[in-house]
Amino acid sequence: MIDRRAFLKAGGLALFTAGTGPTFLEQAARAATGPGSFKRRKVLVTIFQRGAMDALMAVPPLGDSRLQRLRPRLFMSAARNAGDGALHDLGVDFGLHPAFGDLLPMWRDNNLAVVHAVGSPDATRSHFDAQDYMETGTPGRKGTPDGWLNRVVGELGHDATPFRAVSMTAALPRSLYGEHAALAVTDLRNFKVDLPGARAASQAAGKGFEALYEQTSQDLLRDTAAETFEAVDMLDKLDVSRYRPMAGVRYPRSTLATSLQQIAFLIKSDVGLEVAFAESGGWDTHVQQGTRNGPFARRAQDLSKSIAAFWRDLGTFRDDVVLMTMTEFGRTVAENGSGGTDHGHGSCLFVLGNDVDGGKVHGNLPPLVPENLYEGRDLPVTTDFRSVFSEVASKHLSLPSSTNLFPNWSGGRIALMG
Amino acid sequence: MLRNQPPKLWLVFSAIVLSVGSATGAYAKPESEAASSLPWREVGLSERQAAAHLLDRLTFGAEPGDVDRLVAMGLDTWFEQQLAGGLPDPVVDRFLKGFRSLDLDNRQITEIYPDPSMVLRQASRAGVVDDEMVADLQNRERGERPERRQVREYAREQGYRPQRELVGEMVAQKLIRARYSQNQLTEVLTDFWFNHFNVSITDNQCRPFVHTYERDAIRPHVLGDFRSMLEATAKHPAMLLYLDNARSVADEGAPKKFDRDQFAKSQGRRGRGGLGRQGRVGQQGRVDRQRGSSEVEQAIAQRRPQGLNENYARELMELHTLGVDGGYSQDDVIAVARAFTGWATYPAGPLREQVERRIARARRLPNAGFVFEDPFLFRADSHDSGPKTILGKTYPAGRGIEDGLEVLDALAGHPATARHLATKLAVRFVSDQPSPELVDRLASRFQSSGGDLKQVLRTLAESPEFWSVEARQSKIKSPFEVTVSALRVLDVEIQHPRPVLEWVWQMGQPLYSYQAPTGYPDRADAWVNTGALLNRMNFGLQLATGRIAGLDIDLAALNDHREPASLQEALEVYVPLLMPERDSAETIRRLESVVHDPELATKIAQAAPADEVTDPVFDGWDPMLASTGRGSEDRPRRDQQGQQVLGRAGGRRPPSPPEPDHSALAHVVGVILGSPEFQRR
Repeated sequence: MIDRRAFLKAGGLALFTAGTGPTFLEQAARAATGPGSFKRRKVLVTIFQRGAMDALMAVPPLGDSRLQRLRPRLFMSAARNAGDGALHDLGVDFGLHPAFGDLLPMWRDNNLAVVHAVGSPDATRSHFDAQDYMETGTPGRKGTPDGWLNRVVGELGHDATPFRAVSMTAALPRSLYGEHAALAVTDLRNFKVDLPGARAASQAAGKGFEALYEQTSQDLLRDTAAETFEAVDMLDKLDVSRYRPMAGVRYPRSTLATSLQQIAFLIKSDVGLEVAFAESGGWDTHVQQGTRNGPFARRAQDLSKSIAAFWRDLGTFRDDVVLMTMTEFGRTVAENGSGGTDHGHGSCLFVLGNDVDGGKVHGNLPPLVPENLYEGRDLPVTTDFRSVFSEVASKHLSLPSSTNLFPNWSGGRIALMG
Repeated sequence: MLRNQPPKLWLVFSAIVLSVGSATGAYAKPESEAASSLPWREVGLSERQAAAHLLDRLTFGAEPGDVDRLVAMGLDTWFEQQLAGGLPDPVVDRFLKGFRSLDLDNRQITEIYPDPSMVLRQASRAGVVDDEMVADLQNRERGERPERRQVREYAREQGYRPQRELVGEMVAQKLIRARYSQNQLTEVLTDFWFNHFNVSITDNQCRPFVHTYERDAIRPHVLGDFRSMLEATAKHPAMLLYLDNARSVADEGAPKKFDRDQFAKSQGRRGRGGLGRQGRVGQQGRVDRQRGSSEVEQAIAQRRPQGLNENYARELMELHTLGVDGGYSQDDVIAVARAFTGWATYPAGPLREQVERRIARARRLPNAGFVFEDPFLFRADSHDSGPKTILGKTYPAGRGIEDGLEVLDALAGHPATARHLATKLAVRFVSDQPSPELVDRLASRFQSSGGDLKQVLRTLAESPEFWSVEARQSKIKSPFEVTVSALRVLDVEIQHPRPVLEWVWQMGQPLYSYQAPTGYPDRADAWVNTGALLNRMNFGLQLATGRIAGLDIDLAALNDHREPASLQEALEVYVPLLMPERDSAETIRRLESVVHDPELATKIAQAAPADEVTDPVFDGWDPMLASTGRGSEDRPRRDQQGQQVLGRAGGRRPPSPPEPDHSALAHVVGVILGSPEFQRR
C-alpha cells in the first residue's frame, strides 16, 4: 500500500488550526504556500453528460445546407437577422447553441476547445453499454474491472489522501471503480460523525471513535480511520458550510453546479485532489428537443453556467485544472417524428484549461452527406475518445503512457494541449 | 402460461437434446454424504467460541441467544441442518406475503412492469400526453419534474405497475431474508453466488429479470451442484442480456445449424423457416411494427444482431469458471462465443406471437434443433455450427445447443475452475489471504465430488484453517453484513425496509447495482475507505439512537429490561451481547476510557433536541440535493440515462423517523456498533 500516513504528516493541517478570523482564501493561500504543505497538484475534472448529447445542436457546422433539410424543426441559424434565437458564430465555420453562451468568454480567451465527431468505435446504441465502455476505457469489453479514472490515479502514484479522487455522486461511478480508494459524496457537509440534531453528542462520539480506532489491532481500519478523522477535522476547520465562492460568482441551483462548487472548494483547500467526477443528466432528447428553449436548452444552460461559475471561482487555481466533458454517444443527424433525435454514434466534447489549444474546433467533422454518416444516419466517429482522454492525461497530468490507461489500444493522441 | 405451452413433441425433442448434452459431462454422482465433525476443539476453542465463529462466518450474524442455541443443539447438528437447508421460514413468509412481484415469472414481469420509456411512448401514442409533456418527463432532472399524474393514471388503466416496485421488493426481500431467515447459510451463499455470477439493475434491459435470476438461477443451486447453477445462469435472460449473448449470432458466412435460405430453397419459398431477425429482445420487443417512425427504426436497429459478441464467452471463462489465469486464449474466447451463438431470450409482446407461429412451423422439421425452455430460446438459425476447438478439445461440425452444453461441462470440470472457485470460497469464508493448502484441499474436493457445493462447504468447515486464530475476526464485514448483523444482534424488527437499505447504499454497497460483471471485490480494502468508514460509524450511532425510520428497536429488552446503573455496567452488559464470545475484556477496556471521558458523559447528557444544528445559508446549495441518507429521503439511483430509479418496497412510503433516543445507553451501543471490533467477523 502507498504510504497512507503521508497524508497525515503533510503538515498543512496545523495552519488551519491557527487563530480566528482569516478568510477562507487566506487560509487556503497559507496552506498552499506554507512550509511542509501539500504540493499543489494538477487536477482533472470530468463531467459525464448522461443520455448522449446532440452534438449537432450544441456545436453545429455553419454552411452545411443539409443540416436544415435533415432537421427542419431543430435547425438554428447564426444569421444576425435570426434575432434572439440565433446561434453564436464561433468564427471557425461552427456555431454554438445560444444556451451555451456562458462558455464564450473562455472560448475567446482560447482556453476552451471543442473536439467534434468524437466517440467510441463500438457500434452500440445502448446507453448502459456505451457509458460502461467509455468509463472503463475499453470499448466492447464489459469485464474490465476498473475505470479509466481509477487507473489515472494509480498511474499518478501519489500518496493516498481521502480526497485524491472524488466523485460528487451518491454511488461510485464506473470510471472510478478499482483498487485505488475514491470517495463518493454528494454533500461534503455530511463528511463527519453525525447525530442529526445533537451536535455536542456527535462531537463526543467522534472523539470516542477516534480513540477506539487508534487502538485497534487491525491495521487497515486503524490507518483509514486516522486518515478519516484528519480529513473530517480539516473540513471542520475549513468550515465547508461557510464556503463562499469568489466575489461576484454565482453558481446556478442544480446538481451539477453544487458538485462543481464543492470541487472548487476542494481544489482551493489544497487537500490533494487529483481527479474529480461530476454528472449532468437529461441529454436523451428523443422528443420535442426544442431550439432556443426546451429541454436541450435547459440542460445546455445549466452545463454552461455551472462551468462558467466554476472557472471564475477557481481564480488563480485555474493553472492547475483541466475540465473535460464526455457523453456516451451522439444522436441521429435527422430529426425524428417527435421533434427530437434518436440514439446515434459520434458527439462532441469540451476541454477547458489554460494550456488547452482553445478557441478551436478540433477533430474532423465531414460534410453531412449520407456516405459520410455512420450507417447512413448518425454523426460519425472520426476521433476515438481515448485519443482525447490520453492527450489530457499526458499533457496535463504528465502521464505519457496511454497503454496503461487504455489497455489494448494503440491509437494516437489528438493534439489539443500546449 | 398454459395457453402458450409448446406442443409435447417439442418438449420431448428439447429434453433429448438436453439429456445428450449433460450425459456427455465428466460428472460422477456425488459421493454419499457423511455427517461432519467440526475440529474446533483441536485448535483450542471453547464450544461457545466455536459457535460464535460459525455464526460469524455462515450466517449474517448472531441473534440474541444464538450461541446458547447452537451449543444446546450441537455444532455439528446445526451445521448439517444449515447444509441441508429448507427449514420452515414462517417469519420470512409472513413478511413477503404482501409483496406483489416475487412470485411472477419473467413473462408476467415484462407484461406488468414495462420499461417506463415504453409506457411513456404508449401514453403519447394514445394521446394521453402531448409531446411537450413527454419531453419534459424524459429530460428534466430530478426535483424539477412536472406533474406526471396523467401518465401514472394511464399506466394504471393498462394494468402496469412501476419498475421501482419491482426493484424495491427485490432489495427488500434480500434484507428480510438475511435478517429473519432460518436458512442463514442459504442466504449467505445466495449473496456469494449472485455476486460471483453478477448481473446488475443498472442495465435497464437486464433490470426486470434480476430478481427471477436470483430466485431461479442462483438460490436453488447454492447447496447443489455447480454445473447446474452454471447452466441456469447461462440460460437466464438477465445474464443473456447483461453480457450480450442474446445478440450474439453466427458471423456472416458461417455455417448455421438451421439455414433459413437453404430451407427456403428446398421448400420453394423465401425465408419462412426461421424466427425472423430479432435477436436481443426483452422489453423493447414491444414495439409497434405499424409505426414507421425513426424511433421504431432505431429500436430495431438497436436490436439487430451484428454477429459474434464475445462478452459472455470471455466472462464465462475469466469470471465464472477458469479464472483470469485459467489458461485460455483469445482463440478460445472466440470459439466459446461461437459455441453459444443462438442462446437467446424468448421475446415478449407482439413479437412473441410471431415467433411462436414460426416455432410451430419449425417444429415440423425434425432436425432443425430449436430449443424452447421459456424464457430461454435456442435459435438454431443463428447458431454457428462449424467445427470448433476449445481448450484443446474438438467440437465437430453440424451441432446445435450441444456445443454450449458441452462447453459448460468442460469448464465446470476443469481443474482451473476448481482452483478459482476454491480460492473465492476460501476468501469469503476464511480470510483475505487463504493458505495454498486450504485452497488445494477445497479444489480437490470440488473436483472429486463433481462440483458438489455441499461437499466443498463441509470440507471447508472441517479444515483447521477455518478455525485458526489468524482467520477468526479477520474479515471486514461488507456494508450489507454490517447492517444485517446489527439488526440481528439487536433483535430489531423491520417495519419498513427502505430507510435502513439506504444506509447499505450510503456505506458503499448499492444492492444488485454493481455495474461490472466481476461483482463486488471481496477484500477488506475494497470496503474500508474514509467515506465508507465514516458512514459505518454514523450508521451505528443513528441505528442505536433510534434515528433510522422503519425500525423497531428496544435496547432495554435485550437485557430483560434491566437498565444498567452506570456507563461501566452498560459496557459490561452490552459488549458481550453485541459481540458474543469475543475477547470483550480488551474491548471494554478500550471503550471504558472513552465513556469515562467526562466530556462524553456531559455531552450525551446534554444531547437534547434543543441542540439543533442550524445550517448556515449556503449560496447556491440546493437542499434537495443535500441528502444524507438519514432515513426518510428518497435515495436517488441512476438508471442508464442518468434518470433516477427509486427503490421503494411495496410502493409504501416509509414512516417519519422516530423520536431519537437520547439515553446514554443508546449512545454507548452506537459507539459499540460503530467500533472497529463490530466491523469484523
